Amino acid sequence: MKHKLSFLLIALTIFSLILAGCAPQPTPTAVVEQPAQTEAPQATEAPQMTEAPATEAPQITETTVAEEPAAPSGEPIKIGFFSPTTGFAAADGTSALQSAQLAVKIVNERGGVLGRPLELVYYDDAAKPDQASAIARKLIEQDKVVAAISGSYSGATRAAAPIFQEAGIPMLAAYAIHPEITKTGNMIYRIGTLATTQGRVGAELVGKVMNLKKVAILTIDNDFGISLTEGFKQHAAEIGLEIVLEEKYPLGETEFRPIIGKIKASGAEVVYATGYYNEAANLVSQARDEGLEIPIIGQEGYDSPKFIELAGEAAEGVIITTDLNRDSERPMTRLFLEQYEATYGEKADMVGASAFDAIMVLAYAINTAGSTDPLAIVKAISELKNFEDVASGPFWYYTPEREVVRPICSQIVRNGAFHLYHEFTDEALVKP
Amino acid sequence: MLVLQNLSNALILACTYILMAAGLTMVYGVLKVLHIAHASVYTVGAFVGVLAFSRVGNFWVALAIAMLVSGVFGVLIYRSTYFYLLNSPRTVPLIASVGMFVMFTDLLQKPFLMGAYQRAFPAGGAGLPAIKTALFSFTPKQVLILLVAIILLAIVYLILTRTKLGLSWQAASMDREMASAVGINLNQSIAANFFLGSALAGAAGVLVGVYNNSVFATMGDLPSYKAFIIIVLGGMGSLPGAILASLILAIVENFLVASIGYVLPRDSIAFLVLILMLMFRPNGLLGRE
Amino acid sequence: MASGYLLTILIFTTMYISLALSLNILTGYAGQVSLGHAAFLGIGAYTSAVLSVRYEAPFWLAFLVAIILTGLIGTFLGLPSLRVRHDFLVLATMGINFVVVSVFKYVDFFGGAMGLVNIPAPTLFGITFRGGIPYLLLTTAYALFTLLICWYISKTWSGLAFQTIRNDEDASASLGVNPARYKIYAFGISAALAGGVGSLYAHFLGSVFPDNFVFVESIGMLSMVIFGGIGTLRGPIIGAILLRLIPELLRFIQDYRFTFYGASLVLMMLFQPMGLLGNESWVWRQITRWLRTAPQSRKEATQ
Repeated sequence: MKHKLSFLLIALTIFSLILAGCAPQPTPTAVVEQPAQTEAPQATEAPQMTEAPATEAPQITETTVAEEPAAPSGEPIKIGFFSPTTGFAAADGTSALQSAQLAVKIVNERGGVLGRPLELVYYDDAAKPDQASAIARKLIEQDKVVAAISGSYSGATRAAAPIFQEAGIPMLAAYAIHPEITKTGNMIYRIGTLATTQGRVGAELVGKVMNLKKVAILTIDNDFGISLTEGFKQHAAEIGLEIVLEEKYPLGETEFRPIIGKIKASGAEVVYATGYYNEAANLVSQARDEGLEIPIIGQEGYDSPKFIELAGEAAEGVIITTDLNRDSERPMTRLFLEQYEATYGEKADMVGASAFDAIMVLAYAINTAGSTDPLAIVKAISELKNFEDVASGPFWYYTPEREVVRPICSQIVRNGAFHLYHEFTDEALVKP
Repeated sequence: MLVLQNLSNALILACTYILMAAGLTMVYGVLKVLHIAHASVYTVGAFVGVLAFSRVGNFWVALAIAMLVSGVFGVLIYRSTYFYLLNSPRTVPLIASVGMFVMFTDLLQKPFLMGAYQRAFPAGGAGLPAIKTALFSFTPKQVLILLVAIILLAIVYLILTRTKLGLSWQAASMDREMASAVGINLNQSIAANFFLGSALAGAAGVLVGVYNNSVFATMGDLPSYKAFIIIVLGGMGSLPGAILASLILAIVENFLVASIGYVLPRDSIAFLVLILMLMFRPNGLLGRE
Repeated sequence: MASGYLLTILIFTTMYISLALSLNILTGYAGQVSLGHAAFLGIGAYTSAVLSVRYEAPFWLAFLVAIILTGLIGTFLGLPSLRVRHDFLVLATMGINFVVVSVFKYVDFFGGAMGLVNIPAPTLFGITFRGGIPYLLLTTAYALFTLLICWYISKTWSGLAFQTIRNDEDASASLGVNPARYKIYAFGISAALAGGVGSLYAHFLGSVFPDNFVFVESIGMLSMVIFGGIGTLRGPIIGAILLRLIPELLRFIQDYRFTFYGASLVLMMLFQPMGLLGNESWVWRQITRWLRTAPQSRKEATQ
C-alpha cells in the first residue's frame, strides 16, 4: 500500500490547493486573467453558490451618482440568473454574470426596486440544456424568483424558456439569438438584437455605407452564424450585392489559410465573416499574414477587447455591427463602460452589455408595474418606449413578438480600440 | 501559386502535429497505453511558455522552461499513476489516462490556473526573417516553427538511435520483461521516456500558442485526437511513420478545405480516416506489429 | 405540469442509470471499452425528435423506432470491433462519437446547429407527460426494463459468452464461442437500450442540440460504470446515482464536477479497479461479510 500513497498524497495536495485557493470563492466574479497579475481580490460574497447579493468588490470608484437616494430596505426582490461560467463558453458567461452583478449594484444604489433591494440568484449552467432546465426549476421552486434572465447560449436558453413560460415567470434572454426562444410564449422577451436583423444591417453597411459590391461570406456553423448570414443575404439581394464566395466553418477552427487563399482568388472586395472573437482573431491575423488586405466585417461576436488583444495589429480597420457604442455620450453607456472597467479591470463587451441591460429593463418594469406580478411586469416591458437607461440603447420599443427595436451601430477598430463608425437608425431596417 | 502555398502551409501545420505525435509515439512504444492525458501536458507547456515569455521576454528561454516543466509534469504523471498500473490489464491504465485528462482539463479552466479566457502569446517570429520566394512564402512565425521542429526531431532521432537510453526504449517496447531481465532499469528508462515525450508535447504547445497567438485551457484536445490518429496511421510506435502520417494528414486537411470547404469539422474528418484505417489497415502505413 | 427541482434530478438520474446499465453490457459484460456511448444516446434522441417533429409520429412509435434504429446502427457501428481491440477500439468508439455529432451538426435534415425544437411531450390515454411524477414513472419503468435485460443477459448463455470474450478473446473461440457474433450483439443491445433513453431525454427536454452528445458525455457515462463496478448489475446503478447526485448535493463539487469524475476514475483504477461495488472490492466484501454474519452476530462475539 505504501507506494500508492504517493498518488493519494498528490491528489490530496491538489484538493487542498483547491480548498485553500478557493475557500471564499463562489463564482468567478472579480477574476482578472492578465498573466503577470496575481488573482484579483474576490468579491465579498457569501460562500454559497446561490446568492450573489449586491455587495461590491473592494475597489469601486463611484463616478456618476449625483444625489444619494434612500437605501433600499425590506425583503429583497430576487432575480434568477444563469450563465456558463465553466466550460467552453465560460468567457461569455463570466462577462454576463459580472455585468449583471454590476447592474444590480447600480440599481440598489439608486434606491432599489419598489424601495426594496434587488438580489441576483445565480447558477452556472455550463451552456448545457439539461443543466439549464434543472436550474430553471430550482429558481422557480426553491428560490422563488420574481423573474429570470438567461445569460447563456441558445441551447440552454431554449431549454429553460418553456419552463418559465409554464410557471408564468418572466424570462429575458440577454444575448441568445435562436428565433424560437421568444416564440415560446408571452413571458419570454429578448434583449439582444435578433441575428437576422443584425445580418441585414451588415449588408446595408457593406452596400450603402462602404459602397462595396462583391462579398465573400464566411459563416460559423452554429445558429448565431447561420442566422446572421441569412439576414445578410436577404438584404444583400434587395440592394444588389454580389456574393462571390460562401463558406461555412466549424466553431473553434484555428486554421483559415486555405480559405483565405480561396477568398483571394475569388475577387471579393470585402469579407463578411461571422464568428466569435477567437475565430475572428485567427482569421484576421492569418488573412493579413497571407496578404489579404480587403476589409473584414464582423458582428457582435467580435465585440470584445479580447479580439483586439489576440489579433494585435491585424485588428486595425476591422468593422463590426453591434449594439454597444463605445463612443456614445449616453449616460448609461458611459456608466456601464467605466464602472465595468473600474470594477473588474478589463473592458466590457457586448455580451456583458446585454446582461446589464436585462437587469435594467427588469428593474424598470417592476418599478413601472408597481408590483412583482408577472403579468404586470411583462405588460410594462411590452409598453416600454424610448428607454434610455440601458448601455446598448436606446430601446425604442418592443414588437408584439417580444423583440426589441433600437438603433444598431457599427464600430471600427482604430488604434487598438473600438470606435463608432456608423449608426443605423432607419426603423424599417432595424426592425426584426 | 495557390497549390504550393497550400503545401507550404500544410508543412508548417504538419510540424506542429509531428511534435505532439512523436511524444505520444514514444510513450506508447514503451507503455503500450494510449496516454490521453498527453493533451494536458501540451496545454501546460503552452501555459508555462506564455507565462515565462511574459516575464523573461525571450522566446527561446520561454521554450526551454516550458519544455522542462512539461517534461517534469509528464514524469509526475507516470510516477503517480502508470507506474502502479504497468502490469494491470490494458483497460485499467487507459481509463486512468482518461480520468487524468478529464481532471486536468477541468482544473486548467479554473480561474487560478488558465481561466476560461484565451490569452495572447505575442512572441511573433522571435526575430527570425520571413522567407519569400516567387512560388511560396513563409512568415517569420512559420520559419520559427519549421526551425524548432527540425531541431527537436533531429535531437530525438539521435537519442533514439545513438544512445543507450534510446536503445533501452526500443528494447522495452518490444518486450518489457525481457528488457528488465537483461538489466535495463525499467523505471528510469520509462521515466526518461516520459520526460522527453512530454517535453516534446510542451514544445508543440508553445509553438501552436505562438502561431495562433492564443493559449487556452482546452487547446490540447484537438491536437491530441489528431496525434492518436497519426500514430495509428503511421503504425503504432514508429517515428518515421508518424512523421509521414503527420504530413499526409496536414496536406489532406488543407486541400480538402481549399477545394470543398469545411464539409465536416477537421476532427471528424480525421476520425473518419482513423476508423477506415482501423478497419482496413490496422497496422498503419508503415507499422510493423 | 412542471417538474419540481427534485423530480428533475430524479428523472435525469434514472435516465443515467439506464444509460450506465446499457453501457455496462458492452463494456462490462463483453469487455469492449467504449468512449462513444453518447453517440447512441444522440441517435435515439434525434430519431425520436425527427419522427415527432417532422413526421408528427406519436411518441410511442417514435420511441420504439428510436430503440430499434439505434440498435441497428449500433450493430453496424460495432463492426470495427471485429478488426481491432483494446486501445484501438477505444479510439474507434471515440471517433464514432465525433463523427455522429458532426453529422447532426452539418446535415440540415437534423436541424444542424439550430437543433430540433418543439419536441412534443408523450401522451397516453389523453394524459400528457411533460414532466413531474408521470415522467419519473416513465423513466423509472425504463430503468427497470433495462435492468431486467441486463439481468437476463448476465444469467443466460449470452452472458457467459460475453464474459469469456472479456476475459480472453482468443480462448473463447476455442470454447466454441464466436466472439464476432457476441460482440456485435453486445453493441446492438447496448445501443438499442441507449437509444430508448435518448427518446425519453429528447421528449423531456423538448429540444435536442448536437452538443448534448459530445465526447465528454461519453466519458461521464463510462465513469459511472467504472466507478460503480464494471460487469455487475449494482455497479452502474450506484455509479450513476453517486456521480449524478453528489455534485448536486455538494456545491463545492458542483464547481469541480469533472475534476471529481476524473479523479474518481484515477483513484478507482489505482485502488479498486473493479469499482466501488465490484465483486472484489473492499466495500462489497464488507457488505457480503456483514450480510453473512448478521443473523449470527447476536450470538457470536467475534468473526
